[in-house]
Amino acid sequence: MTRILLIEDDTETADAIVSELTERGFEVRWAPDGIGGLDRARESSPDALIVDRMLPGMDGLTVIEALRKDQVRTPVLVLSALGAVDDRVRGLRVGGDDYLTKPFALVELVARVEALLRRPFDSRETTLQAGPLELDLIERTARRGEREIDLLPREFRLLEYMMRRSDQLLTRAMLLEEVWNYKFVPATTNLIDVHMGRLRHKVDGPGETQLIHNVRGSGFILRVR
Amino acid sequence: MRQIEFIRSNTFLWAAAVAATLALFVAGLFAFIYWKIDDYLIMRSDRMIATQLNFLAELPPGRLNDAISDHLKQDSRGVQYAGLFDAAGARLAGNIARLPPQLDPGGPVRSVRLARVTAPTVHETTVKAAARRLGDGHILVMGRHVDETREISTVVGQALLLGLLPAFCLCLLAGAWLSIRAERRVEQVNQRVQRIVAGDLRERLPQSDADDPFARLAGIVNGMLDEMETTINALAGVGNDIAHDLRTPLTRVRLALERGRTHAATLEDLQEVADKAIGGIDQALAIITALLRLAEIESSSRTAGFGDVALDEILRQVCDVYEPIAEDKDVALRVAIDRTAEVRGDRDLLFEAIANLVDNAVKFTPVGGRVTLELMSDGKAVRVRVSDTGPGIGESEREAVLRRFYRSDKMRHTPGVGLGLSLVAAIVKLHGFRLTICPGPGGRVEILASARAASCDAAASDPARARHASLALM
Repeated sequence: MTRILLIEDDTETADAIVSELTERGFEVRWAPDGIGGLDRARESSPDALIVDRMLPGMDGLTVIEALRKDQVRTPVLVLSALGAVDDRVRGLRVGGDDYLTKPFALVELVARVEALLRRPFDSRETTLQAGPLELDLIERTARRGEREIDLLPREFRLLEYMMRRSDQLLTRAMLLEEVWNYKFVPATTNLIDVHMGRLRHKVDGPGETQLIHNVRGSGFILRVR
Repeated sequence: MRQIEFIRSNTFLWAAAVAATLALFVAGLFAFIYWKIDDYLIMRSDRMIATQLNFLAELPPGRLNDAISDHLKQDSRGVQYAGLFDAAGARLAGNIARLPPQLDPGGPVRSVRLARVTAPTVHETTVKAAARRLGDGHILVMGRHVDETREISTVVGQALLLGLLPAFCLCLLAGAWLSIRAERRVEQVNQRVQRIVAGDLRERLPQSDADDPFARLAGIVNGMLDEMETTINALAGVGNDIAHDLRTPLTRVRLALERGRTHAATLEDLQEVADKAIGGIDQALAIITALLRLAEIESSSRTAGFGDVALDEILRQVCDVYEPIAEDKDVALRVAIDRTAEVRGDRDLLFEAIANLVDNAVKFTPVGGRVTLELMSDGKAVRVRVSDTGPGIGESEREAVLRRFYRSDKMRHTPGVGLGLSLVAAIVKLHGFRLTICPGPGGRVEILASARAASCDAAASDPARARHASLALM
C-alpha cells in the first residue's frame, strides 16, 4: 500500500485530507508540526510527502531542505496559503516537486499526489503507447489502432502529456501549468475544455470507444484500461 | 519647560548670536570713532600751542608779561598753561611753578607733568607743552591740558550705550518674535496634521500667498496631500467594488445553502446545492486570487528576473492557445509578425499580458468578427497591437477600464473578474513599457516597448537608467 506522510498544522484540513486519501486507498500518517514531521519522515520513509508551507516549530520549506540534504528523494507536494508566484518558485527551488495553493479542491490534491507517485518516464523513448493509441515522438505522428490521427502541434503536445499519465485524473490547473506553461488563471475559464473538445473529436472517432473522459467539475482522464 | 524650549529654539539662538556679533561690531566702530576724534583734538591743540608760542615769542620783551597774564585770564576753564623763566630756570611770569626739565627749548610739543602755581597745593597734571628760548635768554613755556579727550570718551560711551543697547534688545526681540512665529506655525501645522492622521483627509496645511519658504513647503505638502487623497479615495472605491464583487457570489452561495438545507429532499438535490455553493465560492476565490496577483505585480521588483524575451514567439503561443476559442465563436484570429523582436522582460508576465488582451478581444468581438495580433518593430521601438472588430472602448471609458474591477455596463453579463486590463497595465508599467488604448472604430490596444538591442547596451551599466532610457525612447 502506498504510504503518505502529511505534515499540516490545521486539524480540520488535515482530517479532510486524511479521510479523502484513506478512502482512495492510501495509508496516511499525519504530523501536526515541522519537527515531528521531519522525524517521522526520516524513520518511516513514506512514498510521498504533503507538507504545509507554514508550520509551528519548523517551517515547511526547512523540513524539505533538511530531507533533501539527507539525500531523501521522496516526492513532495507543498501546500501553501501564500499564492504568490515568487513564493511558489521558492517552494519548488528548495526541493518541492509540486505546489498547491490553499484553498484547493480535494480532487486537485489527490490528482497531484497521484501524479507525483507515478514513476518518472524515460525520456529516451521514441514511441509512446497507451491502449490503442500510439505516438511517434520523432515523426510527430499519432495513430489509434490502424487509423492515423492528424494532430496540430498543440494537440499532439496535449495528447502526449495525457498518454504519459493515462488512467489518471488531470485537472485543468495541472494541464494549464504543464501543457501550456501558464503561471496564471486565464480569464476565459473554459480554455482547456475547448482544446480538449478538439482533441477528443479527433481521438474518439464515431463508433470508437471513448478514451478521453470529462470528470465533471474536476478535469479529464485518458482511460485505456 | 516651554520657556527653556523657547530659549533653546534654533531661531532664538541664531538671533542671540547675531545680536552678539552686532554688539561687537558697534563697539569696535565706536572705539574707532573715539580714537580718531581724540587724535584729531590733540593734533589741533598741538598746533594751537605752537601758534601761541610763536605769537608770544615775536612780541617785544616789555609786552610779554602782560600778554601772558592776558592769555591766562581769558582761560575760563583753567586748561591753559604759560610761563616765562630766566636762563637759570627761575619763574618770571605765568602760572607754571617750575620749568619742567624734560622740556627741551625749541623742541616739539610733548606731554609733560606741570605744576600750577595758583593752586593752593602744588599738584601736577600731564599737559601738552612746548618751550622756546627767547632772544634775551629767557625761556617761554606754553601748555594746554587737553581735557576734551575725557569728554569725548564720555560722549562716545553714552552714544554707545544709547545706540547699542536698543539695537541689541531689538535683535533679541526680533529673534524671539521669529522664533515664536515659527513655533506657532509649526504648532498650526501639527494640529492640522493630527487632524489628517485622525482621518480627516480633506484637511490642508495653512497656506499664505507670501513667497516665503514656509508657505512654499506648505504648498508642496498640500500638493502631496491632494495626490494622496485622490489615491485613498480611489482605493476606497476599489474596496467597495471588491466588496460588491465578492458579496454577489457569496450571497448566491448563502441563499443556495439555506434553501438546500430546508428544501432538499434527495441526495441529488443536496449535491446540486453543494455544486452551486462550490461554484460561487470558486468565483469569490478567483477574485481574491486575481487581486493578490495584481498587488503582487504592482508592488513587484521582479526586474531582477528579467531576461531577453522573443515577442514573436509569445504572440504565436497566445494565438495557439486562443485559436480554438476564437474558432468556436466564429471569430477569425490572425497573427501578423512584421519581423522578430526581442525585449527585456519577464516572459511569463508578458505572456499573461498579451493573453489577457487577446482574451478580452475575443470575448468582446461579435460572431463573424476578426481579431488581429500584430508585432511591429523598427529596430528601436517594438509595438504589439491587438485589434478587433468589437465595440471598442469609448473615450469616456478608456481611463476607467484600467481601473480595477471596472466593467462597462454592456460587459456586466460577460463572465470574468474584471481585472484583466488593470493587470495588463500593471505588467506593462513594471516593464517600463507603455499601454495605449486607441480610439475606435473597433477595439485597439497597443503595447509600446523598446527593442532589446537599444536597452541592452545601457542595461549593462545601469539597469534602472536603462529602463528610463527606454521610456524616453518611445
